[in-house]
Amino acid sequence: MQNHRFLDTGPQLSVSRLQKLFGFFFFFYALAVSVSASSIQPKKNTVENCQYLGKYFKKFRVEAEPVVLKSPFPKLGNRVLFSLHYNLSWHKNDSEKTVLGTHRSGRTRTKDNALWILPATPEDSGTYICTFRNESYCATMSVELKVFKKSEASLQSLSYQQVLITSGAGYLVCPDIDDFIQDKNDMEIKWYKDAVLLDQSNKTFSILKGSVYCHINNVSLDSSGYYTCELPFVYEGVKYNITRHINPRIIKKKEETMPVIIGSNKTVLTSLGSKLIIPCKAFFGLGSRPTALLRWTANNTFLHHVYKEGRVKEGQLHEYSENNRIYMEMSLIFNSVEKKDLNTEFICTAQNRLGYQTLQVRVKEEPTFSWGIAVAPLSLIFLVFVGIWMHIRWKQKPGKVYTTTKSKIIARDCQSSTPYRKEMI
Amino acid sequence: MDLCVSLRGLLITVLLFLFHSETMSLPFEKMTSKKQAYRIWDIYQKTFYLRNNQLVAGYLQGPNTNLEEKIDMVSIEPHSVLLGIHDGSLCLACVKSGDTVQLQLEAVNITDLDKDRNESKRFTFIKSENGSTCSFESAACPGWFLCTQADPDRPVSLSNTQTEAIITKFYFQKE
Repeated sequence: MQNHRFLDTGPQLSVSRLQKLFGFFFFFYALAVSVSASSIQPKKNTVENCQYLGKYFKKFRVEAEPVVLKSPFPKLGNRVLFSLHYNLSWHKNDSEKTVLGTHRSGRTRTKDNALWILPATPEDSGTYICTFRNESYCATMSVELKVFKKSEASLQSLSYQQVLITSGAGYLVCPDIDDFIQDKNDMEIKWYKDAVLLDQSNKTFSILKGSVYCHINNVSLDSSGYYTCELPFVYEGVKYNITRHINPRIIKKKEETMPVIIGSNKTVLTSLGSKLIIPCKAFFGLGSRPTALLRWTANNTFLHHVYKEGRVKEGQLHEYSENNRIYMEMSLIFNSVEKKDLNTEFICTAQNRLGYQTLQVRVKEEPTFSWGIAVAPLSLIFLVFVGIWMHIRWKQKPGKVYTTTKSKIIARDCQSSTPYRKEMI
Repeated sequence: MDLCVSLRGLLITVLLFLFHSETMSLPFEKMTSKKQAYRIWDIYQKTFYLRNNQLVAGYLQGPNTNLEEKIDMVSIEPHSVLLGIHDGSLCLACVKSGDTVQLQLEAVNITDLDKDRNESKRFTFIKSENGSTCSFESAACPGWFLCTQADPDRPVSLSNTQTEAIITKFYFQKE
């Protein structure tokens, strides 16, 4: 990018015409010189006109340990491999700007494009510039390093982030140690949890020889803490310890249940041409559901395959929680109901890892001449007439009439004789 | 009196019968977007971050953990998903070039991709779950899976081979 900007720089236009003209000629002269120069000899690059690719994030290390700063170039991977003539150099962004790793006597070395500091001291903290250069290209990137004094080491800055999920086995990885592994099969990493060595007697953890993992047999909330892995490393007869710290985040595994659709199979009455929305709601258990799914199909086919124009489509998925109970809702939307929908089987499926449940919906046409409307008042009138007729018939029944009359007579004759009256009734 | 009660009951039944469809399809409240943020890490505990606009998997330490990229996912079909970062403004795409394929980050809005599904094929991944981990196969480049490398700080890419140095299994947890 910077190279382009460099070429774009044109002559500065001044107020005077003469100056303008001079500038114009100068521009062409400069252009001609630069073109001929670049065609004759390869461009000589200095760090100043190298393309700066940015800053790589800070590494945090502890004093007295070897430190490796890897070449931070990401996209040059292939270029580095295929280009035979290139040069990669490191220097610290301080006042001296001396190229590092060229003298075998100092603490710094370059090995496979990486800068080694053996061992690092707090004075090594700072910004390091890595420069890649070949005949036609030059790029730089910076890497920041912070070396803590042992007494001032901040566990928070040094700790790597890893994740453990509860209720089951899990493992932590000793990170960024590849450069120090000398014999993978014979490698023995010591693991500590909150500064306590995890050995064979500890049944909660299993650590295998030749492995970079610390297996945790049953992850629980008690698994949280600061873990340290320690790898011995020997260089030129000097023994070092490489330590890394991990502060894992413990994630609670969610309680998953089979999804349950609320409601049962149904038939929806509607009129042709009208808009229709049919909701589907399902319960997905407690906690959050990364695997849960709710969808509508028409004759076992996805809606967007059947209704490419979107006449019938799924509404937005709505997920919410009520007292930690997870519900999902999604409606089936008909912009306008057509006759063919009456013969289509619409199914709402709620699915997660444990299984699925479906809800079948059929759409029926609501008759334009509604027998319901016509029959309802008629049946009402009919029922009223039947009621009246039955009432009259019941009144006219001979037995009934006699009993009623008699009881009336008795009631008139012996008004105080309640038991008898009761008996009669 | 009995007649009155029975008539009232009948009237309610008739009314319910007549307005059955209305009770079934009440107008629905406006629903929220399907896009959701997920935390992703490979089975070697490496997380994603950006380096020179390229997605890289590595171990993040101390304050660098803030650089972790979360994945925004939109489900478009039961197992088909769109993946993006930066609140769905940069989407993961499979781009074929010759015999090989490349994972590309394209500046498109993930929710716009959902609207035009024909155009969104190169952004579509088939998400399959295997126990507690999952893998993502490109829909446009069948057989090519989203992968990281065993070595840290290497680009997240696509692979059609399964070797020890290539990791295609990821933990994928909703934020």
